[in-house]
Amino acid sequence: MRRKLALMTGAGSLCGVTPALANGWNMPVGVTDVSRDIHSLHMTIFWICVVIGVVVFGVMFYSLLRFRRSRHTDSANFHENTTVEILWTTVPLLILVGMALPATATLRQMYDTSEADLDVMITGQQWRWRYEYLGEDVGFTSSLSTPRAQITGEEERQEHYLLEVDEPLVLPVGRKVRFLMTADDVIHSWWVPELAVKQDTIPGFVNENWVRINEPGIYRGQCAELCGKDHAFMPIVVHAMESDEFDTWLADRKEAAAQEALGVDREWALDELMERGEQVYNSVCASCHQVDGSGSEPAFPALAGNEQLLSDVEFHIDVVLNGVPGTPMAAYRNNMNPVELASVITYERNAWGNETGDAVQPSEIQSRLE
Amino acid sequence: MWKVVKSVLAAFFGVQNERQRSEDFQHGNPGAFIAVGLVLAAVMVGLIALVAILASR
Repeated sequence: MRRKLALMTGAGSLCGVTPALANGWNMPVGVTDVSRDIHSLHMTIFWICVVIGVVVFGVMFYSLLRFRRSRHTDSANFHENTTVEILWTTVPLLILVGMALPATATLRQMYDTSEADLDVMITGQQWRWRYEYLGEDVGFTSSLSTPRAQITGEEERQEHYLLEVDEPLVLPVGRKVRFLMTADDVIHSWWVPELAVKQDTIPGFVNENWVRINEPGIYRGQCAELCGKDHAFMPIVVHAMESDEFDTWLADRKEAAAQEALGVDREWALDELMERGEQVYNSVCASCHQVDGSGSEPAFPALAGNEQLLSDVEFHIDVVLNGVPGTPMAAYRNNMNPVELASVITYERNAWGNETGDAVQPSEIQSRLE
Repeated sequence: MWKVVKSVLAAFFGVQNERQRSEDFQHGNPGAFIAVGLVLAAVMVGLIALVAILASR
């Protein structure tokens, strides 16, 4: 009995530990107005629940102890009490309406994707994210950059283990950014707690969401919908920049994309293709086929020493462009530009002891894509 | 009539006192309760729709 009381007071004092709640135990306040609203809504409802819990369990435990059998209490014996019944119907009704009003107001705000300053298409793929700045001709794939050795335990894990990518999504501060979210293969979920966005990306559907970030910074998230073998290895990193800094970044990316588009027509040297190809391979292909091309049988065939690929360049190009139906191998014709496609195929045909000497030209790929 | 409306409203709310309940069951006409129930349900739907329309303007 005394132990029970000690447990109860223990539980009571836990409620007072608000600072601890704000340090990783609770949802973050976040860096957008909506995330702030969601957080305060969450806290309000949390404290309403705490008060209700304390009152209900308080009355219950008081009655259990005060009127227990060993005290020879006579039980009350009445049938109905309309006043009490009206009261216990009205009070929860008022509490629920009181919670529904601010919640609905916040929901309406979250769903209002109109009048955006910038549209970003987010596409989930097994197992990486693709970002496209609509109308800007800028798009790239964002893959996990944590070294394999940290995952296998050969190296010590760093601070942002499994929460770091090769190319973060860059967004401007203070502008309304609309996300158009979909997926290529299975359902993923784009989740960044600090932005209060957790939106399923579904093949064949386009979901919408939006943010207006208040503070520059790096915000990290993860895929929140179990999507296969590397579900834990497709993190999200958002780099929020000051508006003018963002404009410079976007202009640079546009310029680089335009340069690469110009490069489609010229003849590329093997070395050039290999250099670019290694970059692309490690970002896009290595999660399945491994950095050393050894694959992961049976789902992901080895590319190193793969006779079927090496003996037939047409077949190789076809697999990368159009995928292999019925297997996890996706079609990459719409996910990469001709230079990336040509260089990654060249890389695969000349790396890890593969020595075909083939330099697949971007112009060749371009004509295949048309 | 007013009594029937009151009883139907009490049913909507979910609380009715015992005296009223037994009176309804002895003297009431089931058809009247059903009719008033349907009308009031329609009124409630209309009210909620009105609130939603006003709130989303």
